[in-house]
Amino acid sequence: MRKPRTAFAFTVLFFVLLYLPVAVVVLFSFNSQKSLTVYEGFSLRWYEAFFADEALIESLGMSLRVSLVAMVGSLVLGVALALGLVRARGKLGLYAGFIMLVPLITPEIVTGVASLLLFKGLGIPLSTMTVMIAEITFSISYVTVILRSRVAALNREVEEAAIDLGATRWQALLLVTLPALLPSILASGVLIFALVFDDFVLAFFTTGVTPQPLSVRIYSAIRFGIQPTINAVGTLMLLGSIALIGLALLIPRFFGRRGGLSILSGE
Amino acid sequence: MIRLSNLSKSFGEMHAVRSLDLDIEAGQFFSLLGPSGCGKTTTLRMIGGFEKPSAGVILLGGKDVTYEPPNKRDVNTVFQSYALFDHLSVWDNVAFGLRRKGVAKAEITQRVGATLEMVQLGELGTRKPRTLSGGQRQRVALARALVNRPRVLLLDEPLAALDLKLRRQMQIELKQIQREVGITFIFVTHDQDEALTMSDRVAVMNNGVVEQCGTPEDVYERPATRFVASFMGTSNLMPGVYADGAVTLDGGLTVNVGQRSFADGTAVSLSVRPEKIWLSDFEDGMTRVRGTVRETVYSGPTTTYLIDLVPGVRVAVLEQNTARSRNEDRWAGGETVDLGWRTADCLVLS
Amino acid sequence: MRKRVSLWSWLLLPGTVWMSIFFITSLLLVTALSFGTTDDLGTPHFGNSLSNWAEVFAPVYRTVILRSLGYAFITAVLCLLIAYPVAYAIARHGGRWKNALIAAIVVPFFANYLVRMYGWAVVLSDEGPLLGLARKLGAPDDWRILHTGFGVIAGLVYGFVVFMILPLYAAMERMDSAVIEAGRDLYGGPLRTFLFVTVPATRQGALAGLVLVFLPAMGDFVSAQFLGGPDQIMIGNLIQSKFFDGQNWPLGSALTMLLMIVLLIAMAGYLRRARKDEQEAWQ
Ligand SMILES: Nc1ncnc2c1ncn2[C@@H]1O[C@H](COP(=O)(O)OP(=O)(O)OP(=O)(O)O)[C@@H](O)[C@H]1O
Ligand SMILES: [Mg+2]
Repeated sequence: MRKPRTAFAFTVLFFVLLYLPVAVVVLFSFNSQKSLTVYEGFSLRWYEAFFADEALIESLGMSLRVSLVAMVGSLVLGVALALGLVRARGKLGLYAGFIMLVPLITPEIVTGVASLLLFKGLGIPLSTMTVMIAEITFSISYVTVILRSRVAALNREVEEAAIDLGATRWQALLLVTLPALLPSILASGVLIFALVFDDFVLAFFTTGVTPQPLSVRIYSAIRFGIQPTINAVGTLMLLGSIALIGLALLIPRFFGRRGGLSILSGE
Repeated sequence: MIRLSNLSKSFGEMHAVRSLDLDIEAGQFFSLLGPSGCGKTTTLRMIGGFEKPSAGVILLGGKDVTYEPPNKRDVNTVFQSYALFDHLSVWDNVAFGLRRKGVAKAEITQRVGATLEMVQLGELGTRKPRTLSGGQRQRVALARALVNRPRVLLLDEPLAALDLKLRRQMQIELKQIQREVGITFIFVTHDQDEALTMSDRVAVMNNGVVEQCGTPEDVYERPATRFVASFMGTSNLMPGVYADGAVTLDGGLTVNVGQRSFADGTAVSLSVRPEKIWLSDFEDGMTRVRGTVRETVYSGPTTTYLIDLVPGVRVAVLEQNTARSRNEDRWAGGETVDLGWRTADCLVLS
Repeated sequence: MRKRVSLWSWLLLPGTVWMSIFFITSLLLVTALSFGTTDDLGTPHFGNSLSNWAEVFAPVYRTVILRSLGYAFITAVLCLLIAYPVAYAIARHGGRWKNALIAAIVVPFFANYLVRMYGWAVVLSDEGPLLGLARKLGAPDDWRILHTGFGVIAGLVYGFVVFMILPLYAAMERMDSAVIEAGRDLYGGPLRTFLFVTVPATRQGALAGLVLVFLPAMGDFVSAQFLGGPDQIMIGNLIQSKFFDGQNWPLGSALTMLLMIVLLIAMAGYLRRARKDEQEAWQ
């Protein structure tokens, strides 16, 4: 087949532009001066500045905690939902299927506003916990969408075999079905962790004043004049994300299955 | 041992199984045989407890288990897909049932080991199912069910996924194991050879009904219906009309079949199995007809001739290629031959 | 078997209750407050006034809403134009590097959105590499990207183009290469083959991509904030300012609902289109 030169050249240009902003951030995180346009020489001072900044470290801690809780919470609720959605019949299933679709077409800013109003309306003061609740709500749909197809692809006979061998339904679920789903569950968990850690909009609407999640701090920093520390933070977060994505891709291989990108593209 | 009476199952408008009656004795190797979609799996799933019958009763050792869940029945299943637990080792797969029943550790070790030996998987206990071959996976599925010593073992086309050679080998093994353990086997297959070679009794199903239930010889030699006759191998069904101990075939030929319990003028089908037709060395009293060889199909130990008796009436004839038969004795296309069969080998089916 | 049904329903229950409280109820709350009022202190109260909805359609806001629609629409179309050649080059000529290349597109997407936008702002800035290069090539000195509509759209495209590439790539992967070869025979040149074979065959992926880009672009406020100026604000910026700076929550709620309604209409249009496509595919 003849190669379409124009498409190739265009693709190369695309990749250059795609990586240029990221490269700029990474490069200038090692700049010895404050400038964002002139590279003056290698230095780790912005990393030192980041690790010396207690408020930023506190934010980092909060983001990690929020991501972890959101991951666990949305996995517990989302896995149960995915199983129920595929297998339950009746009105509840229809209703659940419907409300799982709405978040997918709701922009984050709407979810953010709605969560803010709800917490205010219920008289819950904004805090780390409100961020956690909002992030769980936002993540459940992702988990459910990813896992739903995996549940549907399960061989029902395996579960029936467990029951046939004397297991109760719950035992079959715990001993056979969940282990079969484990690779997908772990992979989507890692994905959720990365998404929540990076999430800004929801966190922005639902966080209290202190501590604030890292992404909200980055937002304020960028908004009120650029500090090169943000370059260092951004670089570290990028590394973390790459590591997590790599992990998500590799998890199926640990279980002797074909890994793949399908989990990223989802539906 | 097992009694199914008036058992029915409908999926909406679809009647998968219709008022089935079957009696299966303890220790039997019992086969459910029939074409795809005839309701074999559905019947088996009702016995296993995975499907609730629309009507009817299932008695297991005299006890009504119709609505008991699968884990409360003394029945185990070998699934068509094997349904192995991929995250557990072969050993843990086999031990699964015993652990659920709270059997003592020492006994589990002993029974799992012995069962794995029996299915010749003694070495592979630590392997994961994914790393096994099809035949080995099949054995794991068998061991996993057998180790529980159920009163009845249900097998849904357990050999369907294996290649022909392995399949023949497993047929023999499975039969041996069944004799050894003495458990009642209910075996689903759509392969008539398999059913004939392995079973003590065979139930031939079609469209959700049992057309005939009997020994392999019964269903092969004395099929009760046209469907059974045609499903159990080549049967040379020839439509015609019965009158006074003879059948007049549609092509005009009249064949003596002896007195049967049909009214004169009944439309029937005459059937003679290919291996029951002689081409030489005829006996006295045989029905004799003349035909033209149309096709000769050589297949190793046997040769099949397709012979036209009269235009439109074609039969297959099977001859053994024994040590005494010679190449040049075979008939060729276009030759005229004499055919003969014993009246007793004629089947007349309505 | 009644027991089995209840097990699965039990599993549905916690997640459904959670989503009902924290998602559905909160959306209803937004709807309710959009009919509310504020008192002199700026504290919101529920009510049944239509004044917020009237205000939403006042010229000031209408401009912003129309601009947001325009930006999101242009963004979606640009993403489509960018994604087609890229997805095509990777899917059809990527060979064994296919997966690696797609991963390379996804990785920056997982860098923090703010940091990416901010890096993009640096690249597009007046002293940045892009304009520097353009000036060397003879562009006038007063060319700007930042603080223009083009800058905001560039930000939205950069933020969401991956949502277009993935479904398009998936659609092209599914295409039978024999179909393309047959197209070659029928139509001759690669461009014609692309237009008459590849594009129609990947229409569903393109449609899905348009929606996946349009939805977040319409609700975005970071791009307009980092890359635009006061004349480029989008509906997201309005909402944000009503909740944080202006403290007019009822008006903010009305704007939020309006955004939601626009997107629901877009979504309904997409679903109708997709269903029609599906029906045609069956015939
Ligand atoms: N859950 C179900 N819902 C609807 N129809 C079903 C269901 N299960 C089986 N059937 C229908 O019932 C009929 C009998 O199915 P069954 O699986 O028992 O056939 P089978 O004899 O096992 O066939 P095969 O040899 O192909 O496995 C089929 O027509 C099938 O489509
Ligand atoms: Mg079957």
